[in-house]
Amino acid sequence: MAKIKKKGTSGQAKNYITRTQAVRKLQISLPDFRRLCIFKGIYPREPRNKKKASRTSTPNTTFYYTKDIQYLLHEPLLNKFRDQKALAKKIARSLGRGEVSDAARLEKNHAPKLTLDHVIKERYPTFIDALRDLDDALSLLFLFATLPSTDHVPPKTIALCQRLCHEFQHYLISTNSLRKSFLSIKGIYYQATIQGQDIMWLVPYRFVQRVNGDVDYRIMATFVDFYTTLLGFVNFRLYSGIGLRYPPKFDTRSDENGAELAAFTLEGRNVTETPKAIESGKTKTIVSSNKEVSKEVQAKVDKAIKAAGLDETRDEPMADTTEESTDAIDRFEPAAPEGDTLPQPDMSGNEAGALFAPFTFYISREAPKAPLEFILRAFGCKRIGWDAVLGDGAFTHDETDPRITHQIVDRPQLPEGSLPAIPAAAEGAAPKVKPGTRIPGRTYVQPQWIWDCVNDGKLLRADLYSPGATLPPHLSPWVKPSRGGYDPRASLAEQEEEDEAEIAEEAEDSDEEMEDEAADEEKPAATAATAEESEEESVDGGMDVAGTDDESESDEEEEEEDEDFPGLAEEVASESDDDDEAARNQHQRELEAEAAGLPFSSAGVADEASKKKSTKSKKLAAKKRQEDEELERQKMMMSRKKRKLLEKMMYSNKKTSDEAAKLRSKRRKLEKAGQK
Amino acid sequence: MDARKASKKRKAVTRDVEEEAGVFSGDELGAENLDGALSDNNNDLSESEEEDSDSEIELIDDFSDEDDEDELDSDEIPSDGEDEKPKKSAEITPNGTEPNFRVVKDANGNERYLYDEINPDDNSDYSDVEEKANTIGDIPLSFYDQYPHIGYDINGKKIMRPAKGEALDALLDSIEVPKGWTGLTDPSTGKPLQLSQEELELLKKVQMNESTVDGYNPYEPLVESFSSQLEIMPLSAAPEPKRRFVPSKHEAKRVMKIVKAIREGRILPYRPPEEREEKEEALISYDLWADEVGRPDHIMHIPAPKLPPPGYEESYHPPPEYLPDKKERKEWEQTDPEDREHEFLPNDFGSLRKVPGYENFIKEKFERCLDLYLAPRVRRSKLNIDPESLLPKLPSPEELKPFPTTCATVFRGHKGRVRSLAVDPTGIWLATGGDDGSVRVWELLTGRQLWSVKLSDEDAVNVVRWRPGKDAVILAAAAGDDLFLTVPPIADPEIEKASLDIIDAGWGYAASNPPPSAAEANKKNVPPQWIRPSSELADAGVCVLIPLRYIPKSISWHRRGDYFVTVCSGASTPASVAIAIHTVSKHLTQYPFRRRLKGGGPPQTAHFHPSKPILFVANQRSIRGYDLSRQLLVKIVQPGARWISSFDIHPTSSSASGGDNIIVGSYDRRLLWHDLDLSQRPYKTLRYHRKAIRAVKFHPGGRYPLFADASDDGSLQIFHGSVTGDMLSNASIVPLKVLKGHKITGELGVLDIDWHPREAWVVSAGADGTCRLWM
Repeated sequence: MAKIKKKGTSGQAKNYITRTQAVRKLQISLPDFRRLCIFKGIYPREPRNKKKASRTSTPNTTFYYTKDIQYLLHEPLLNKFRDQKALAKKIARSLGRGEVSDAARLEKNHAPKLTLDHVIKERYPTFIDALRDLDDALSLLFLFATLPSTDHVPPKTIALCQRLCHEFQHYLISTNSLRKSFLSIKGIYYQATIQGQDIMWLVPYRFVQRVNGDVDYRIMATFVDFYTTLLGFVNFRLYSGIGLRYPPKFDTRSDENGAELAAFTLEGRNVTETPKAIESGKTKTIVSSNKEVSKEVQAKVDKAIKAAGLDETRDEPMADTTEESTDAIDRFEPAAPEGDTLPQPDMSGNEAGALFAPFTFYISREAPKAPLEFILRAFGCKRIGWDAVLGDGAFTHDETDPRITHQIVDRPQLPEGSLPAIPAAAEGAAPKVKPGTRIPGRTYVQPQWIWDCVNDGKLLRADLYSPGATLPPHLSPWVKPSRGGYDPRASLAEQEEEDEAEIAEEAEDSDEEMEDEAADEEKPAATAATAEESEEESVDGGMDVAGTDDESESDEEEEEEDEDFPGLAEEVASESDDDDEAARNQHQRELEAEAAGLPFSSAGVADEASKKKSTKSKKLAAKKRQEDEELERQKMMMSRKKRKLLEKMMYSNKKTSDEAAKLRSKRRKLEKAGQK
Repeated sequence: MDARKASKKRKAVTRDVEEEAGVFSGDELGAENLDGALSDNNNDLSESEEEDSDSEIELIDDFSDEDDEDELDSDEIPSDGEDEKPKKSAEITPNGTEPNFRVVKDANGNERYLYDEINPDDNSDYSDVEEKANTIGDIPLSFYDQYPHIGYDINGKKIMRPAKGEALDALLDSIEVPKGWTGLTDPSTGKPLQLSQEELELLKKVQMNESTVDGYNPYEPLVESFSSQLEIMPLSAAPEPKRRFVPSKHEAKRVMKIVKAIREGRILPYRPPEEREEKEEALISYDLWADEVGRPDHIMHIPAPKLPPPGYEESYHPPPEYLPDKKERKEWEQTDPEDREHEFLPNDFGSLRKVPGYENFIKEKFERCLDLYLAPRVRRSKLNIDPESLLPKLPSPEELKPFPTTCATVFRGHKGRVRSLAVDPTGIWLATGGDDGSVRVWELLTGRQLWSVKLSDEDAVNVVRWRPGKDAVILAAAAGDDLFLTVPPIADPEIEKASLDIIDAGWGYAASNPPPSAAEANKKNVPPQWIRPSSELADAGVCVLIPLRYIPKSISWHRRGDYFVTVCSGASTPASVAIAIHTVSKHLTQYPFRRRLKGGGPPQTAHFHPSKPILFVANQRSIRGYDLSRQLLVKIVQPGARWISSFDIHPTSSSASGGDNIIVGSYDRRLLWHDLDLSQRPYKTLRYHRKAIRAVKFHPGGRYPLFADASDDGSLQIFHGSVTGDMLSNASIVPLKVLKGHKITGELGVLDIDWHPREAWVVSAGADGTCRLWM
């Protein structure tokens, strides 16, 4: 007989280890274990069968994968942690003895330095892996870059975060790899595409962050430690990948004056234009360094060519061919009508870089400078001016500069008289413009215009975004229209289910019927009219898409507005038609009633109408019932597992469709209110 | 300067020592070198003295002697050998009264000093060096191997290699060991090295790490200069010297110097702190992924899921329909923060300047951090498929038509429950039997009662079955203990006569066999005799009565109409007589089973196979098939039901090349489809009834692939169950219709069903005393 196997010696019982066991095995304290887990990216697991994995009956035990913990045993950081612990004891001892200077010396000179380089290499063996995991890192670092310094958050950390974030932004600017951005309640979302990886992060608005008591900064600080190292390496790689020197030159004085992005100067062989157009002196230095670098490079290249024994005659034609080829993706046009067409990326860095390139922007005092500057630069704008209050590094501080083409304003239109007079400008200062005045020859827009243009990939009509105007809704660029979901871009009629409007109409009518019988008769006519109108809209919309692209600036909402007028006219006409018909019908009924010898009343008509409606709803209900029956019948034939799955899916689908229906009904109400 | 004085004093002392150390005659040195050498010497010594001096003095020396110091540094370069010679000459000049050299003219006529040779004293360190010392210096002797000499003495004369001892000498040497013989060769002379006794002692001491001085005792008793005992009287009665309590002027002077230097900034009192190192640390100066090697994803590694992108409702200026109305707002505020679907309420700020900071930003990021390291990760495969595609592709009910959908006729007349019914093979009549003990025959389409007979007053009619075949109209009915074969007078006289003939043919056969004796008749398992019924019954149309002594609950005809099988399923029935096969042509009853069937409980029902000579018998839990011709058990079917109520065999079984298919209904609410070729276990288990299933039936004849079951929940369910001839494809079963109409009386609903032989009509018998035709 085979030996009876002992319980808990193999399988899940061996594969999983509880947290307490893990901490004991590693012989470290719980906070140290937490740090180690954060650094090494080790997270708890859910065993397939909790009962088999645990030997205790405690319900909420955290399980770790045993091999993960075993792998932590060899971690060099573990020794560092132990050193730190020993040092902490020494410091505590000298503090207890009152030897403060001794403690300070210990802390300063003997604190073990944690290096996370090997951890990063381990966790992200390739650069792409690191890019893939950059979302959280960027979000957290951008948050820390805006935090005020406290006991938990030392100013050094904040400065480091700021530096890294700005460096990353500079990379995005110089490669034009920012793709989308979105103004949300929480902050500003950005999405960039680097080496095919979509990276999205959230930057808070610049306010002092409210700190709740239940936030443990030590945990966040551990994450920040890791992420700063990661972003540093990523930045290095990104910079060196495009031939820039890392770290870029950082001008502390300029930074103190609030220059932010402009405090950095990129150096390298590929820098053809400086990101800052104003500092001509710096440009020269860069150019010269550029030359030096290129000389060196040239020498190296020459050497290499000699070493390889390449003759020049062969080299030249190659150079010619390379000149012709560009980085841009070629359009693949199908040669023959049959065959599938493959989708191609629609926006490349070149296109993104050209969006705002021809313009000169001026950011008014009240608009948020930092995000605007970043997004404008990332989309190709080279000349951005702002008010001197907003900090250094502007193309111009002079609002009256004639080169400015666009001005970003975020203040309401006020009547002329309500504005205070401007005090006389001091000598030498930029001449002040009275707030609210318009300088002819430039376009005034609200900040949302920038974001909407960026998300649409084209310049939108600026007059919709003029100061004081009611803005069109700002929509998230990441929501894909899904089946059964609600899409605010499309018109109501396009996405309504069959008869949905009518049913809703009826439901409303039945409510109103009690109050107002006379109005009842017009309702169906009106609904018919709206249906017609919406149909018309959709048709027109389709035509517009196919039509002229020159006027593509006009946005969808605008189209709708435009079409409102013919739609209304149509409605009026149809209403009159319907009225005629209704009158005829009523006359006919009167005649019939007379023939039958019954007293005719308008109430009878109303009854009939309601009956008609009720029959319709009855028909619908019957249809629904039939469908349900059919579904039940089909369900009867499925295995239990599949049936459960189906029910789950139907549940979630129903949830989304309910949500969509709710939104549609809201919109219907709003539209109706707008019509009235 | 004090220091200088001190150094001069010291110099005198050292000079003496150096004098003694002289080995070389300083013949070559001229007198003019001496002055410079002297000053050198002086500095040298002062420096050595400085090294000894206190650190306090050092500073002062630094300031005062700076120039000298520089000189000194530059002059220190000459080697020691050079240095020594002037020293020797210097020591001679002051000591000797007469010059120890002679002046001679050299070849050029210049003066030349010739020094006398120096006789070293006995106390010299080099006393043991002979006159003939080798002067070749520190080079290996092997250089001279090929020469007869081994070097030069001080006078430049060759030192000849000592003659090697002859073999005899060596032998002699080895025999008488001279005193102090070591066996070693002195490398400088090449002669055997001899050591005296003292020298050996010395070597030994050196080897043992002992002091080489004679009479040194390392363990001398300790003389306590400061004993642990407290003296009462002072050791010295001398008064305290003044210097003990007067501050030193000298020191004050020095301190003042330092203070002055600090004031002037020549001395920095502290070292500036070093901050440079920390900056270095933060900078990253190499490419971590310079030699990146991809790693295949480990199956256990689950990357952290990314946060979903924001939706429309998160916009600072969303479309108006996303804004919550009052009700939603209130609802959101009232729910717990954990239960909320969104952690924020959509809000329209109109323009960017009005957007406030998001107050939960840090909290959300913190929670994300917590999620990253605390939340267990599970890989869930999300099905992105249309739920419609999961639904089985069923033929639509229209394609499966016809099947019964509505109640066409209701047959009323029975008092109490209708227990059984049967549609005759022609499909015109319906026979029913009920609790009131009567058997009635109805016209199926109209519901008109044609014939009725009361078989028993107290017992219920349990089962009625028509004889298959259109040539005769014979109805078998079981009421109480008795079986009746009747020929209802409803058909045309010819058929009636044919029927009577069939039944009457057996009388003669029975008469030819002798009736069993009384003793045999008393035995239990003696088959009963077929007898003629009472005259009333005979007038009503009953032809034969078979007294079975136990209550038969099921009758099933063979397809040819010559045999039928009855099962008495009562628990008290002996196993040997529970199942009986009756032969109509011979008026014969046989009991084929002697023992109780295995597999649980009394037999419930039995059916003949439609084409093969197989009898299927069901007891409570299993169905067994017996080959009647070979008298063998051929099949065991285990439906897994607790109590089988009824079963039916597919009419095309085995004839249409397919296997046998059986449906089984059970009191534990299950309807089971068996493919006998597939397995003993059911192919499909259908549980759609809420109460026990009483009867199951295939549509006879196989024209329509339909089957139906009747249940105590008052409903019939109609299924489509098509069996294909293809062995590979399974039977497809499609539920079609639930027919409801019978009322539930006394926990019982529908008790029996039967199909019309040609049409897709089904008839059901209810406990409410009605029968219904569904078409």
